[in-house]
Amino acid sequence: MWKKEIRLAGSGGQGLGLAAMVLADAALRAGLQVSTLQSYGPEARGGASRSDVTLCDQDIANPWFSKPAVLLALNEKAWMKYGPELAEDDLALVDSDWVKLPERRTVYQIPLERIAKTEMREKLAANMVAVGALAAAIGRIPLDVLMEAARSRAPKGFARINQDAIRRGWELMEDLKGGVDRGGARGA
Amino acid sequence: MATELVSGNEACARGAIAAGCNFFGGYPISPSSEVAETLAKILPGHKGIFVQMEDEMASLGSVLGASLGGAKAMTATSGPGFTLMQEHLGYATLAEIPCVVVDVMRVGPSTGVPTAPSQGDVMQARWGSHGDREVAVLAPASVREIYDMTVNAFNIAERLRTPVVVMFDEVLAHMREGVELSAPSHDELWRRPRPLEDPGPSFRAYLPNEDGVAAMPNFGDGYHFHVTGLMHNEKGFPTTHPETIRGLMARLKRKMDPLPFWLPAEHYRLEDAELAVVAYGITSRVAREAVDRLRDRGVLAGLYRPRLLWPVGAADLADTLGRFQSVVVPEMNQGQWVEVVERYLPSAVRVVSRSKLGGEPMTTEEILEGCREFVKKGVRAL
Repeated sequence: MWKKEIRLAGSGGQGLGLAAMVLADAALRAGLQVSTLQSYGPEARGGASRSDVTLCDQDIANPWFSKPAVLLALNEKAWMKYGPELAEDDLALVDSDWVKLPERRTVYQIPLERIAKTEMREKLAANMVAVGALAAAIGRIPLDVLMEAARSRAPKGFARINQDAIRRGWELMEDLKGGVDRGGARGA
Repeated sequence: MATELVSGNEACARGAIAAGCNFFGGYPISPSSEVAETLAKILPGHKGIFVQMEDEMASLGSVLGASLGGAKAMTATSGPGFTLMQEHLGYATLAEIPCVVVDVMRVGPSTGVPTAPSQGDVMQARWGSHGDREVAVLAPASVREIYDMTVNAFNIAERLRTPVVVMFDEVLAHMREGVELSAPSHDELWRRPRPLEDPGPSFRAYLPNEDGVAAMPNFGDGYHFHVTGLMHNEKGFPTTHPETIRGLMARLKRKMDPLPFWLPAEHYRLEDAELAVVAYGITSRVAREAVDRLRDRGVLAGLYRPRLLWPVGAADLADTLGRFQSVVVPEMNQGQWVEVVERYLPSAVRVVSRSKLGGEPMTTEEILEGCREFVKKGVRAL
C-alpha cells in the first residue's frame, strides 16, 4: 500500500485550504484515493491554520492522523509545532525566509513567499509554489494533471498566476532533488 | 459518474436535494454553516425555498410550518442551536410533523470551541427535549454516508411522521473525500401517507394506519384538522383522558420499531473476534484502523459500528457483543453511548469507556493503548 499523510501548516489567510484542495483534486484525477481535513480557529485571518491531506492507492480507512509523513511549514510557529515530530526519512518543505532550521536537519528549503512576490507579483501565490514543489517531491501526480486541477479550483483571475506558481515550484523542487541526489544541499 | 472531492457539509446539502428537500430554514453556526451556505446556492434552482431565520428557535419553527404545508423541510445547526431547538423537537414529535434536523457537533457545553469536533450531543439528542419521547438519531461516518443518511433521514421522517436528527462532528463536516454521489431513484424516496378519503367532517387527522402512522394532508388541501402540542385524540383536539394518552404514547414509540432494521449496525471483522471495539462517527474511522493494526499483530479484534444511535438496535447489540469478555468504547465525550452498551450487554461482559476531550479526535495509537490491557499475554506487544 502506498500512502502519504501530508500536513500543510501556516497561518490563516495563506491559502492552505485551497492548496489542500488543489493537491487532493489533482491526486483524485491521477487515480488516487484522497481525503482532506482542516483545522483553524474562529478567526478568518491570522491564527494557526492547518490542512491535512491523505493520498493513498487504496480506500482510506481512517482520514485522521496525528503525525504527518510530509510537512509544509510556511512559518516558524508551524515548524516549531510539527517539525520536531518528523522522522528522519519524512519529507519537509519550509519557507526558508520564515523558518530558521537547526543546522543539521535535512529539509527542502525554498523562499516560497519571496518567489511568489517577485516572480508572480502575488504574495498569495506562495501556497501554489508550495503545491508544485510538494507534488514534485511526493511523485504520483503528473504536472499537467496538477495544472488542470489548479485551473479548475482557482479563484477568479488567479488561474494563470496559480499555474505559473505551481510550475515554478515544481521546477525548483526538481532542481533541489537533483542537488540532493548529487549530495548537495537542499536549499534553493 | 465522476468522482468528486466533496465535504461532509456539502454532501449533507446535496443529499437533502436528492431526497426532495424543498424548504430550508436555518441560522448559520460553525461548524454546520456550509450546509446552509450550499443550500442557499442550490435550493432555489430546485424550486425550493431557503430562509435565513433570526435564530434557531425560529429556524425549526419555520421548518415545522413548511412541513405542515407539504414541504420536505430541514434545518442544520450545532450544539448551541440544537439546544434552542429542543422545545420544537418535542412539539414535532407529539404533533407528528416530519422534519430533518442536522446537528454538527462541536466542543461544548455552551459556545465551547466553535471550530473543534466532539461527540458531546449524543445524550442530548436522546433526552434533550422533555416528556419521555422516542427519537430517531442517525450517525454517519463518511462523506458518502452523510449523503446517504440525509436521504434516509428524509425517508424516515416522511414515512413515520417524526423529526429525524442526523448528527456528525466537525471533522466529518469539513472533511473532503473523493466520492461518487448517485441520486436515489424515485422509488427509493418515501413519502408521507396521504388521506384516501375526501375532506369532510368525519376526517380524523390522527387515525393511525397499520404502521401506527396517520395520513397527513397539507394545510390548505381543504381538510379541517387541529395541530397541537397538547395530548390529543384522533381528531387532533386536546384531551386529558388517560387511556387516550397511553394509547398515543404507545403508538409514538411503536412506530419507531422498524428503525434498527432499516439502519443496521456495521459489523467489521467481528466474526472470529475476541476483543470488540464499539465506535461511531469519526471515532469509528480511527477505530477501524486500530482494529486492522491489532489484527496485524495477531490480536483478534473487531469493530461494532452503530449507524443508528437512537433508538438502540438492542437485539443486535446483545446478540453480537454478548459473547465477548471485554468491549472497549472510545468516544469524543465523557462516556455517553457506553452507557447504552452497558445497559444491553450481560453483566459478565466488561464494558470499558475510553474518553477523549479537548477538541481533537482520538488517534489510532490512543485506541490501541485503550485496548492494551485486554490483549492476552503472548501476543506481540502493541
